[in-house]
Amino acid sequence: MSNTQTAPTVKMGIPIPNSKLGMWLFLGTEIMFFTAFIGSYIVLRLGSDGWPTDPEVTHIRVWAGALNTFVLLSSSYLVVVAHEAMGKHDFKKALKYLCGTFVLACVFLGVKSVEYYGKFQHDILPGNIAETDEQAMLKANSEISGVLTIRLNALVSGDEQKEIKRSALVTEITELKASGEKTDRLAQLNTYIALETSAKALDDAVLAETISLHDYEEKLTAMKANESYGGFLSAKNLVGFPVVHDPHPIVYGNLFASIYFIMTGFHALHIVIGMILFALVIKERERLNEGWSEWVENCGLYWHFVDLVWIFLFPLLYII
Amino acid sequence: MSDDHGHNVNYLLIFIFLCFCTLASAICDVLPIPKLAIMVLVLGIATAKALLVMLNFMHLRFEGRWKYVLLAPTTILAIGLPLALMPDVGLHYYMVDVPQAEAVITQHTDHDADEHGANEPAAPGKQDH
Repeated sequence: MSNTQTAPTVKMGIPIPNSKLGMWLFLGTEIMFFTAFIGSYIVLRLGSDGWPTDPEVTHIRVWAGALNTFVLLSSSYLVVVAHEAMGKHDFKKALKYLCGTFVLACVFLGVKSVEYYGKFQHDILPGNIAETDEQAMLKANSEISGVLTIRLNALVSGDEQKEIKRSALVTEITELKASGEKTDRLAQLNTYIALETSAKALDDAVLAETISLHDYEEKLTAMKANESYGGFLSAKNLVGFPVVHDPHPIVYGNLFASIYFIMTGFHALHIVIGMILFALVIKERERLNEGWSEWVENCGLYWHFVDLVWIFLFPLLYII
Repeated sequence: MSDDHGHNVNYLLIFIFLCFCTLASAICDVLPIPKLAIMVLVLGIATAKALLVMLNFMHLRFEGRWKYVLLAPTTILAIGLPLALMPDVGLHYYMVDVPQAEAVITQHTDHDADEHGANEPAAPGKQDH
């Protein structure tokens, strides 16, 4: 009997490197992660008659989605040829392709930023969207109220409460009128009162439920066109968003916005993580060697998965 | 290292085909056909694209049978989740005219009544919002 150990003839386990097995297991969890969102979206959408699909309402641009699909497909192609170049020990070429992938990832995020900017501009944000006529009018009233607060703070300095500031403003008007002088200051204060009065009339009409959305829109348009205070209502804030939005209710708008942002947001987060993984290889520059081949392969698998998710998000969010 | 290198795959051709598929999806959006047909078309195209990426770019075509061991449970769970949710969420049990809207109006009415008495000069009702 011999105790001599011989090499096993059959290799146990899965015949791939551990890192690749780990990446595939991770991708398995990622499949379930995104399927939870996509599945929930499909189910919610099927149960919501009247889901917003009009691009004029949702501000979803098919061209932007298609462009980003093209960008991600191009980056996937560059990753696969980079991996191929690594296999052929052409590390210079591989580095070039990896840099291309990184740049395309930046382009993807750029296009997504433009889309997000549009959503913020039109206030298509979860929890901010009016879903009924009443909510639309209340929201516009609230925004007008915000404009009034800003104007009041600009006209009356100090940290006092609004009511105290307003009393001071009324007192100042009375004093200026009594003095008989027609100053710019008096004109500004009177403009505030005129805006406040119009806003109060709108507010009361909404609360008393005596105004339709159509009539409300007409009155708001007239207020925005007013020579003295219209400019305050049609103004934009520092980042270019309107201070008072047009009152347009979007049925299921909040659900739509939640789903849109959670799916595209998590996808964008994956893009950023992928960029970090690629940056770690790219920083090697001339030092890039065969030792990085597995890394590039695993990053490539991750990147193709990110591409796969977008391949489904594009038709689901942008076309259907 | 795995044996993925040296596969005779024309990646450029696959990439061009994927681009055409994307273009076809975008064109589907403007086709004068029923919405359901568009849905079937674009999801079919998306599935075809996904298969192309998985089989060629992710090299699943060339991998051994371990891929079934790893991916089958995930796929079953992924398909099972929406099916499990369907009876609960898919049923249209909630109202579009949400009760929160009524609550907001009531709050404003009460607030205004408390804040602006009969002798108060005209002021916007919801300045604190």
